[in-house]
Amino acid sequence: MLHNVKDNYITSVKNHVSHFEEKSFRKLASNDFKSWPSPREETWRLSRLGILSRKELTPIIPNFKKKFTSSSQFNGSKIIRFVDGALRADLSSKLPPGTSLDTLDEEDSLKCFNKFKDSNLKNHPSINVSFSCTPSIVKLTIDKGLNIRDLFEIIYEGGDDNLSVHPALYIELKENSSITIIERFNHLSSLIMPLQLVELKKNASMNSLKIFNDNQQSYNLSANCAFLSDKSNYNSFSLIKGGLFTRSETHAYLKGENCNLNLNGVYLSSKNQHHDLTTAIYHDVPNCTSKQIVRGVLGGKSTGVFQGKVRVAPDAQKTDGQQMSRAILLSENAIANAKPELEIYADDVICAHGATVGEIDNEQIFYLKSRGISEKKAKQIIITAFLKDIINESVEEAMQNFVFEEAELALSEIISKEI
Amino acid sequence: MPLLEIKNAKLKLDNKDILKGLSLSVNEGEVHAIMGPNGSGKSTLSYMLAGRDGYELESGEVFLEGQSLSEMEADERARSGLFLAFQYPVELPGVGGMSFLREAVNSRRKFIGEEELDHLAFVKEVRKVASKMFVKDEMLKRAVNVGFSGGEKKRFEILQMAMLKPTVSILDETDSGLDVDALKIVSEGVNSQRNEDNAIVVITHYQRLLDYIVPDFVHILSDGRIIKSGGPELALEVEKNGYAGLINAA
Ligand SMILES: Nc1ncnc2c1ncn2[C@@H]1O[C@H](COP(=O)(O)OP(=O)(O)OP(=O)(O)O)[C@@H](O)[C@H]1O
Ligand SMILES: [Mg+2]
Repeated sequence: MLHNVKDNYITSVKNHVSHFEEKSFRKLASNDFKSWPSPREETWRLSRLGILSRKELTPIIPNFKKKFTSSSQFNGSKIIRFVDGALRADLSSKLPPGTSLDTLDEEDSLKCFNKFKDSNLKNHPSINVSFSCTPSIVKLTIDKGLNIRDLFEIIYEGGDDNLSVHPALYIELKENSSITIIERFNHLSSLIMPLQLVELKKNASMNSLKIFNDNQQSYNLSANCAFLSDKSNYNSFSLIKGGLFTRSETHAYLKGENCNLNLNGVYLSSKNQHHDLTTAIYHDVPNCTSKQIVRGVLGGKSTGVFQGKVRVAPDAQKTDGQQMSRAILLSENAIANAKPELEIYADDVICAHGATVGEIDNEQIFYLKSRGISEKKAKQIIITAFLKDIINESVEEAMQNFVFEEAELALSEIISKEI
Repeated sequence: MPLLEIKNAKLKLDNKDILKGLSLSVNEGEVHAIMGPNGSGKSTLSYMLAGRDGYELESGEVFLEGQSLSEMEADERARSGLFLAFQYPVELPGVGGMSFLREAVNSRRKFIGEEELDHLAFVKEVRKVASKMFVKDEMLKRAVNVGFSGGEKKRFEILQMAMLKPTVSILDETDSGLDVDALKIVSEGVNSQRNEDNAIVVITHYQRLLDYIVPDFVHILSDGRIIKSGGPELALEVEKNGYAGLINAA
């Protein structure tokens, strides 16, 4: 009985492929979608998808007449809108010269698919399902030497109950270019499977900010792959606060020397939310740095997961890899898991990691109370500082307030119930 | 009525007797010094007074201006006018010094029925006090105690004291870690707050501090009890002969 329903989605994904003219990569992808990951697979043990096999799901057919509901949060930003997983050029801004937004043809889509398939993300369900069902793979290209001053704001919304949505975005920064992109996920769907491929060419630099704020019943299984060439710079920060189940998985490949990666994140979880930040950083060449700070605040019966793999290949001498994760539990029923995984095969490296899960430090609470500050206020001050700290460190100044306000909304939801 | 009265205080930590019947009475306008060997219970006494969790009395009582502290949480005690300068001030990453001070001061002002200070008035007041203590503006912009040197932490404690205007202050080894000049600055900071309506208890190992902050009484704490009390000359005796003789005689 349960099996039937599960097979239903697999079947409907395969059937969905027939809607499209370009089928080569879609067929390959749909053939590879055989089941949901089992909890026996190590990276899915702490974030189980069993419940998805019991849901009635079908891939969405985008409604190109749908109006958008999420307004822009930044004056003068260049907006790119995806509704129901489909690019809506009619609702997006005109982009500055030197930047282009295209939908990939069959050949390039296959290439893009193969890049994911060559990565260690290859078995991620979103890759097979979204390559089968995405309306199109959208590519944003930034020309050589271009430093984009405008903020790019990408808004994903739409979807509906029992439907899955499949936005797919490929971002390429050519040599010596730079950009700041904020992405906001505001879907109403049951299942959201965003794909993102980032390629940074020599000396390119990208600030990426992702805010996961889908509706409270949704599952978001975001799969991201980033390739960094020589001297490139990828500064990524994710704020996870929405959804019933949100997992952002990012694999970053440091392929050229002297590149620099920051892969930071915050999750704020309440009620029965499940939030998961899974990352893998591959140092394949010498002289690169990666730094990762992850923080979580949990209340209610929520669970948080941070899985952070760092692999330093035998040739990757002089690697500097830092990873710190810390979760604060505000409720006895909340659970946080931190699973750092360091595989270091080179000997001349600096790698440090630390992971803590616990309550707010009692000494800090006492110190504040001894100055006349109530316990409730003391906790609020400590947690707020905990988040401000990482936001200020990770996010460029002009965006710090926005990100902090977004975090504060979720935080007050947690705090109001717990302290 | 004494400002602070401790009556036969007994306290266990981890099932071990630490305070074993300690009594002390501190009146308005007085400065008391408490000296005693390492591990004799001085910091335990200060935490007990400040109301730290786990430092509740097993028996005995403490009164602040006649009011029993036993049912009062740490924050309530502080708002009522008790202040503890920590031996080891706690770092608060991400909490700016200025907003921390303002939160503390306004909590106390609200409690005693004074108007809360707005941002501008507050900053002006802090700057005035801070400059007397040679606490730089830059330090107030940083996170509380994070990356402060030992001496900076102690100066920041006394700045907090000056801003909060407590009735009873306990200074736990505020002199340790201070160089000669800082010792003078901090002592002057403390002395400038001495008046007929408040009282100060200084815990120290060194007689030298008492040259700057001259106490009315000196008490020797050993093994959880006050074994001897006297005037400033008692501190000189400790300086000269150590604690052994005093402890043996007791
Ligand atoms: N949580 C605890 N459990 C058990 N014993 C404790 C605990 N905390 C402190 N003690 C013990 O209580 C005694 C008194 O410690 P306290 O810190 O009050 O001493 P002190 O007089 O302030 O010493 P110092 O001069 O070194 O600052 C010591 O023997 C210490 O080991
Ligand atoms: Mg001590």
